[in-house]
Amino acid sequence: MYERYITAASTYAHSIDHLFLLIAALVGFWLILAEVVLFALVIKYREKEGRPTRHITGEEKELHRWITIPHVLVILCDIVIVVPAILVWYNIKQAQPPAEQTVRVYAQQWAWSFQEPGPDGKLDTEDDIRTVGELHVTVNATYHFELMSRDVVHSFAIPSFRLKQDALPGRTITGWFRPNRVGTYDIQCTQMCGLGHALMAGRVIVETQQDHAAWLIRNANPSLASLPAAPAPVPENTTMAEARR
Amino acid sequence: MRENKKLAPRQIMFGISLLLVFGFSVAGCGLGSTNAAMRGQELFQNCAPCHQADGSGNPQVGAPNIAGMKAWYVQAQLQKFRAGTRGMHFSDVEGMRMRPMAVSLASDDDVKAVAQYVESLPTVKHAPTLTGDAHAGDNQFHLVCASCHGINGEGNPDLKAPRLAGVDDWYLATQLRKFKAGIRGNNSKDMEGRLMRPMSRVLTDEDAIRNVMAYLDTLNP
Repeated sequence: MYERYITAASTYAHSIDHLFLLIAALVGFWLILAEVVLFALVIKYREKEGRPTRHITGEEKELHRWITIPHVLVILCDIVIVVPAILVWYNIKQAQPPAEQTVRVYAQQWAWSFQEPGPDGKLDTEDDIRTVGELHVTVNATYHFELMSRDVVHSFAIPSFRLKQDALPGRTITGWFRPNRVGTYDIQCTQMCGLGHALMAGRVIVETQQDHAAWLIRNANPSLASLPAAPAPVPENTTMAEARR
Repeated sequence: MRENKKLAPRQIMFGISLLLVFGFSVAGCGLGSTNAAMRGQELFQNCAPCHQADGSGNPQVGAPNIAGMKAWYVQAQLQKFRAGTRGMHFSDVEGMRMRPMAVSLASDDDVKAVAQYVESLPTVKHAPTLTGDAHAGDNQFHLVCASCHGINGEGNPDLKAPRLAGVDDWYLATQLRKFKAGIRGNNSKDMEGRLMRPMSRVLTDEDAIRNVMAYLDTLNP
């Protein structure tokens, strides 16, 4: 349902969507019902000539059940929400599947920069590729990310992956995602981080394995940087070859 | 004959409420001043949190002293930030901070207006923060830098070389280090930056940079 409005491009996007839908349906049902009952009672028992408004304390038994019955039902609904919420939390935030690749994400006022392994597939080696504003990943590969902040609190959000994780200065926070749809998706900061917060955007480019391999070779070898770019769209104002270390 | 109806108080209140809602709705719709000088001043409000209201800069956040800097240079650098030819290097922390600010300027006219406002600000000269041998720096400066930046560091718009006299030494030293490390001037479209990179390498070590800074600190804008 939510996919009509925002693409679902990671393996866990749908489980988040289903949870949202469940919460929206249950909370929405009680909201509408409560408002309908409230307004119906207000209209039904409004002041009329010869019938003064009555002060109700809610202590009488027949009135008290208007509180207790919905209360119990709402608590039951809470349990219906909490159980799948804990399962989704566990699957996304706590149980991390083994990584096929690891990337490092740096947040700073007001840019995202990334360090990814070069053709050797290992971080912290000579051929690492460092980029600003663009993260290149392979479709159907499990990525672990090590998230750091260079200054203040930020939040690393890729709405199409349904991913959001705060970045705290002084801490390295590990998370994961597995993109399952080729395309270019927005990265946004979702934690107010200063004057340029609204402009702190980036892009994640999910490529096929071949395109990603070509991108890796081009960016790990400066002499090949002038060759035509991979089919993945590259923003006009982002020059990846220059963003390399 | 038509009956002369009076408006009920409730109708009057409804009408006033509608007017108020309309008034509040359009209250924030100002499009900014059309006067270039005023527009520049308005836009500079976005710069002031880092560069200070008088443009004198703030070393704590790496924001240089830009008060009185020539409009052509400010404009050129803002355009580089906007185009991503500056402020896109992984290690250029200050540049990356500046880039979204430049991108927030909606048009070339806005860039021009804010650049002109910066030039109109009275020049501010700060006390030196670095120590070095000014005499050695004098020699080095006239050997390497003066041909483009002018004998007195006054800059040369024809060569697109900015004024160095009166610019904060910590900022110039930082930029030289960035040029040397390829953090600045590494983009193929940044012609002046690319020209600066080999020049910066002539200052072979930290002492050479400090000496030139010590000399520049003796010059007045």
